[in-house]
Amino acid sequence: MCHTLLEVEGGRKGKVRIAVIGIGQSLRGDDAAGLEAVRQWQEKYPETAKRPEVRVEASELPGLALIDLLDDMDAAVIVDAVQSSAKPGTIHRISPDELSAFTPDAQSAHGWGVAETLQLGRELYPTLKNLPIRLIGIEVEQVSMGAGLSQYVAQAMPELCRTIEDEVQTFLEK
Amino acid sequence: MKTIEVPALARVEGEGGLYIGLENGKAVEIRLDIYEPPRFFEGFLHGRFLQEVPDITARICGICPVAYQMSSVFALENALGIKITSQVRALRRLMYCGEYIESHALHIYMLQAPDLLGKESAFEVAAIAPDVVKNALRLKKIGNAILSAIGGRSVHPVNVCVGGFYQWPDAGPLKKLLPDLEWGLATAIDCVKWAMTLPYPDLEIDYEFVALHHPDEYGVIEGEVWSSKGRKLSIKDYEKGYIEEHVKHSNALHSHTVDGSTYLVGPLARLNLNHEQLLPAAQKALKDSKLKLPLKNPYKSLIARAIELVQFYEEAIQLVKSYKSEGPAHVELKLKAGEGAGATEAPRGLLYHRYQIDDHGLVTFAKITPPTAQNLPRIEADLFALAPKIIKMPEAEATLTAEHLVRSYDPCISCATHFLKLKVEEKEK
Repeated sequence: MCHTLLEVEGGRKGKVRIAVIGIGQSLRGDDAAGLEAVRQWQEKYPETAKRPEVRVEASELPGLALIDLLDDMDAAVIVDAVQSSAKPGTIHRISPDELSAFTPDAQSAHGWGVAETLQLGRELYPTLKNLPIRLIGIEVEQVSMGAGLSQYVAQAMPELCRTIEDEVQTFLEK
Repeated sequence: MKTIEVPALARVEGEGGLYIGLENGKAVEIRLDIYEPPRFFEGFLHGRFLQEVPDITARICGICPVAYQMSSVFALENALGIKITSQVRALRRLMYCGEYIESHALHIYMLQAPDLLGKESAFEVAAIAPDVVKNALRLKKIGNAILSAIGGRSVHPVNVCVGGFYQWPDAGPLKKLLPDLEWGLATAIDCVKWAMTLPYPDLEIDYEFVALHHPDEYGVIEGEVWSSKGRKLSIKDYEKGYIEEHVKHSNALHSHTVDGSTYLVGPLARLNLNHEQLLPAAQKALKDSKLKLPLKNPYKSLIARAIELVQFYEEAIQLVKSYKSEGPAHVELKLKAGEGAGATEAPRGLLYHRYQIDDHGLVTFAKITPPTAQNLPRIEADLFALAPKIIKMPEAEATLTAEHLVRSYDPCISCATHFLKLKVEEKEK
């Protein structure tokens, strides 16, 4: 897991490179949904997940390092838990421009959230500004201490895997 | 009664509240209320096999997992009476360099600099000085890359074990980092110059500084616990000089010296006590800065961090150049009952661990004293010192000055036990 640094990245040649990134905390209930979804997608769609142009990342708390994970990529699918007023298990498809609707609790800068990190990255780096990103959110029910997903979130996993596969295929076809 | 309330203090890790009670122009009560629930890590460790400890304690913090790994392995190695190889020691220092780099780059540029530049957040800094923030992100990324190369991932790296490392990391990815590390060293030197130009609030405190001291290197792992008041203790005797106790308003323990006084751990303490052990480029950066030591202004801990950024880039270059993945990566363990203490310098200050283990290598007792728990009473005392100034300021400025002071400590409340609420209350005259 060693990426070229943003400042020294070379030209983009060859096939489109897609990052599939699952984000979450494995010990905070449904917050682990992003990690679990990407893991299950890898199992169900190995022919896609193992393609050389696809890079899969499971990241517990990437914070600002999310920018690094997007470095040298041509597209990205990010899967993360979200909390809105929707029913638990609801799958949201969000473009980066719509992210502000899901701005997480940004009080702790040590734990930079996905929305503000993407916003900062897009402000600083033109390549990131033009990077097609699809964010798949899964509505959580509980994020208390302990491992394991709640019923509605667990039940949404097959559909979530299909959604990830759909988004990745869309990028691969481009 | 006059009340100023800030809903949440940003740019610190963890949840807590800050209460300042003013009466007749004087601060009568100041409390850092730590209401983040206690996390019981010491309890989780009971009955665990010693080799699980570094990976469990790493989970205490997402910013400084390496510190928790390092203090625990040194303590457990002491309990078993084993000595690590010099090669393992060097790789542990390199791993620590990675952690210092990423933690300090984050704090200097993203957490404290906005206060000094009069900005609300790193976003605003990015808007006026995008190159500064880009440099910060790149500096931080290089630290993460060191951790990934050694520990497989940058957050909660794995590979550290009691006795050494599970396996030697490949030399290739580490050596490839050299051009980036050279860039980092040059940028860190510029960072010290830039840090010297920032407008720090005036505040001088007569601290008792406490840090690990090692005669042959900048104290990070091993050595003695030194105090600026002359107290010198071996790591195993740490608890003879420093005591933790429960205070009502905090879910984190508070530390004080055996004499009942507060003390300061962290970058200021390290720089003041250990500047003679800095490597040449860091020494030069310190000399060129014309800083007068001891540095007693808590806000200027940013400068101390910047000098340390030079130190750890410089050291990382040396360690990467000399790294060879040869020989056994760890010492084989012979289990026996015992007790051992270990202390290392986390980016935020001294981190002490003590364990008791049984014949099977299972943990029967664990004690962990994080840097922020040691600094909490000191932060409160600093706020008292700041109070006469705050009183004369307009509300918003007063609040910001107090918040900035707390942030300059880079407190990790999660480690100590998550959001600060500032409440300034003025009682009627």
